Parts: sequence; structure tokens; C-alpha cells
Amino acid sequence: MSISMPTGRPSLFGSLTVLSVFIVGAFLAAVFLGVADIPAADVAAVLTGNGSSEARSIILDIRLPRIVTGILAGIHFAVAGLLLQTITRNPLADPSIMGISQGATLAVTVFLLFTVYIFDPGSNTLSALPLAWLPAIGTLGGIAAGGLIYLLAFRLDLGPLRITLCGIAIGAVLHAAAIGLIAGWGSARIEILLEWLSGSLYARSWTHVLFLLPFTVIGLAALPALQRSIDLLRFDPTVARSFGLAYRRQFSIVLFLSCGLAASAVGAVGPIIFVGLVVPHLARFLARRHFSLVLPLTIALGAFIVTLGDLLGRLLGQAEEIPIGVITAIFGVPVLIALLRKIP
Amino acid sequence: MPLSCSQLSVFYGRRKALNSFNLDLKAGEIRALIGPNGSGKSTALQALAGLIAPHEGHVEINGKPAKVMSRRNLAKQLAFLPQQPSAPDEMTVEQLVRQGRYPHVGLFRSYNDHDERAIEWALESTGLAGLADRSLLELSGGERQRAWISAALAQEAQILLLDEPTSFLDIGFQVEVLNLVHRLSRERGVTIIMAIHDINQAISISDRVSLLEKGQLLFDGDPDMLAETGLIEKVFRVNGNFVRITPGSRPHFDIELTRS
Repeated sequence: MSISMPTGRPSLFGSLTVLSVFIVGAFLAAVFLGVADIPAADVAAVLTGNGSSEARSIILDIRLPRIVTGILAGIHFAVAGLLLQTITRNPLADPSIMGISQGATLAVTVFLLFTVYIFDPGSNTLSALPLAWLPAIGTLGGIAAGGLIYLLAFRLDLGPLRITLCGIAIGAVLHAAAIGLIAGWGSARIEILLEWLSGSLYARSWTHVLFLLPFTVIGLAALPALQRSIDLLRFDPTVARSFGLAYRRQFSIVLFLSCGLAASAVGAVGPIIFVGLVVPHLARFLARRHFSLVLPLTIALGAFIVTLGDLLGRLLGQAEEIPIGVITAIFGVPVLIALLRKIP
Repeated sequence: MPLSCSQLSVFYGRRKALNSFNLDLKAGEIRALIGPNGSGKSTALQALAGLIAPHEGHVEINGKPAKVMSRRNLAKQLAFLPQQPSAPDEMTVEQLVRQGRYPHVGLFRSYNDHDERAIEWALESTGLAGLADRSLLELSGGERQRAWISAALAQEAQILLLDEPTSFLDIGFQVEVLNLVHRLSRERGVTIIMAIHDINQAISISDRVSLLEKGQLLFDGDPDMLAETGLIEKVFRVNGNFVRITPGSRPHFDIELTRS
């Protein structure tokens, strides 16, 4: 991940070119490489509409939906992080620490706890559990946590800076509640939950893509219309309101937009930590004073880093793949530290 | 009347920061708002700008209650510059000034010739045309303050509220800001109310002076009359005399220091 960080000060054009090469390379590598060893020629054949049915099934039903889910989730986390950092005016704001992920976790935990009794009290096997519902439940939980943060922040009239702390506190409580529930049970539910908690793209299908896509489309389509209010939300409320911004309304719209993006991604793939935190910093670092590039770079890097992280996890772990959430956590820390040193 | 308020009261907890404050500004006048620290100057300005909802009383802008106006509509008629405002670090002067056009362009309309001219005029009036592409971080304190004034000018509002625009500036920049305020009032008919600490600058620049103490309006009127009342010595707990440096000029407050 650190490869795209220029040492010294090369031209903006140069670093953008290098970055695009890396991004395209990562996507191609993600399609061509995998635990199931398919020759490159066969992969190419599948992509052009031919190939054996086995190769077709692996590429089209397993690898591609997984990659696309990862791309969408990466975009969601990164853009949500950028929006949260902007409106809270806190460079450390991130959906995975501000309660949204934890709200999703608690919702999924409670859901698994109850559904076992409602659906099939005798069964504890994976297949009997209603996995298809997890993304939707996680999304609702994440948005509910966002709503809770919002209510507290405005009830207590907290400044945007303290909203971050409020989110972290709520996140800690929700997380503790979820862990408390988990500690009480055993068996298959824990397995599902642990896999989901570590942030994983394992077995993600076109269903997940279809689940995420409406959020992606609405989220990204809303951004150009919100650009000017997002610019003004970077000022303190007194100044923004003096410039004529309906601060509270615009703040709420942007907060819920980022909650929707982050929560849907958490619901679909679990909390992939650090993407929302690191990617916007990386984008700002690369864009330097070209502010209009920050958003496109955030989108591209979000997709890139999740794809690359997942590919690494698949290749390093082989059959026992390493979840993407673990990869981003391990590589995210050094990147963050390197950036903190470079940013004045 | 461009801006007026009546019986305005604001509480912070149980403390009354502003107590039944009345004010009316005439079109094109310069009003100086003076008073000791914590006397309610900022509170009064923020309540007038509609940024604090008063607990009692109401504010009217061009005869319309400010309460019912949208933020954008209000910002088209009234620009407010808070004390020591802060901007995102990496922003340039021009980007800051451009934000002043928000009430006019809103979320969707694109910037037209008139908007660009307003931005240019705001930059030129504050002597910042040459620094437009500089980051705010690279500016001196005086230049940054002028950039903020410039952003407020870009709003092209006919009412301008300034909260201590000259604080932290050296005497050269202070005079520059005061001259700009005078030009805006006389050439463009902008109605201006500014909180200011320097009594002599307040007296020499303003058409009328308002003196606040502990949220109460003690004096409201002609600067020459203020000199007669003896209120300055009492309110600020200082000794001094008003003198006229040249016949016909505004009175000048000469402070006596106790040096022993």
C-alpha cells in the first residue's frame, strides 16, 4: 500500500499516472490470481465469453462478485471517512471507531441470538441460520447508531469536535453489549459472527453487490449537489451560518449520508477498519493543493486498497485466507504513521 | 430601517449576558459598539446576526423579523464577521472569499460574471488581489484578518456586523480597516456596526456610539455627547480627560496612568 506514496516530490501528473497503473494492475491481479489455480489463458477466455464451465463458475460466480463487493465496500468506507472527517473537523473521525460499525455488530449479534429461536430452535448449523439477512440488519444497526450519536450531539448541543468523542463512547458501549451477548453462547453463531466481525469478503456474491449498489449510486450522486455545503461545513458553525448555511440541516444530511454508506458496507462485509481513516489522508496527501482531486482520489484509493488487501489475504493465507479486515489493520497502521509524519 | 432590535435579552445559564437591549441603525451609518470585556458586545452582535436566538425581544432586518428568514436570505442582507474566526488550514484566500458568495449561488447555481466581479472587488478593496492564491497559513495576522473582511464583503450585504475587526492588528492595518469601513459606508451606503476596543478610534470613525456594561445599554448617541457624560471613566475604571486636539475635531480621550 505504501508503494503509491511518492518519496520526495514528484509531479502530480507523475504520481497520478503511477497510481492508475497500480490500480489497474491490482484489479487485473485480483481477477487472474487466486487459490484455485486457473491458467491466465483460461481466465482471459472466460472474460471474453468462452472458457470451461469450471473456470467460468470460479471467475464469474466467485472471484468477480467478491472483487466488485470489495470495490463498492472500499468506496463506501473511504467516502464515509472523508465526509465524517470533514464535518466533524476531526482528522481521526472514522466510521469504524465512531459507533457505526459497533451499532451494526450489536444489531447482527442480537439478530442471530433471536432468529435461532424463531427459525429453528433445534438447529445450530450454519446453513440453518438466516445469513441472507445479515447485510440489511447490519445496515439498520449502523444507521440507528448514527441516529443515536446525532440525537445526543444535538440534544446536548455538542460541538462537531465532541461528536467524534461521543461516537467513540457510544461505539464502546454498543461493542461491549455485543461482546457480552456473544460471551453467553457457543457454536455456529460465534463462527458466523467472528468471520463477519473480522471484516471479510469470503463468499460474497452478486447478491451483496446488488445490496450495496443502490447505496453507492445514491451516495455518489448526492456528493456533487452537496459539494458547497461540505465546503462550508469545514468552518466552525458560527462562520458557516454567517455565510448563509443552514448548518444543522446540511450537517444532518451529510452525517446520514456517511452513515448510510458506512453502515451498508459494514452490513455486507463486516467492519473493515482503517480504510475510512487512512484513505482520505492518503488522498489529501496525493492531491496536495488540488482540492477537487481529493474526492476522486478517495474513491479510487478506497476501491484499490480493499482489492489489494483482499488479494493479499487470499494469496498469503491460501486455503485459510486472511480476512481483509486483518490485512487493512496490519498495513493501515504504518501507512497512517508515515502520513502523520508527512502532514504538517 | 436596515437593522433594529427591541428588548433583546440573552441568558447564558442564569447570567443575563444581554439585558433588554434596544438598537436601531440608520441606513449607511457607522455605529461603534464599545464596552469592557464581557459587557455583551459579542452577544449583542451575534443576536443581531441571528446566530443566537434571544430569550426575549426580537430583531428586524429591513422591517422583517429575522426569526422567520432563512439563513441564506439573511446572509444576502447581512454579513457578520466573528472575532478570530477560523478556517480550514489549507484553504487559499480566494477560496475563502468565494464562500462569501454562497448566499447568492446556493447549492446548485453556477458562478456567473457578477459573482466573479464581486469576488474580485472584495479582494481588491482589501488589497489582497495579489495574494489570492496564497494559503491562509502563509499570511500574516493582518493579511488573514483582511481576507476574512474580504469574504464578508463578497457577500455584498448592505448591513455589515464586525466583531473587533481591528484587534491583533498593528496600527497600520487598524487604520486600513477603519478607512475601508468608512469607504463602504460613504461610497456604498453600507450600514455598519462594529465592536471595537479603542475608544478614540470608536469616537473618530463612528456616526453614533453605543456603550454596553454588563449587558445593559448605558449610552446610545453622538460621540461628542459621550465625552460629556463621564461614563467612559466610570465604566472602564480609568482616569482621563477628553480633549480636542484641533478645534472642531472629535474629542480625544487622554488616559492618565498612575505611575508611582
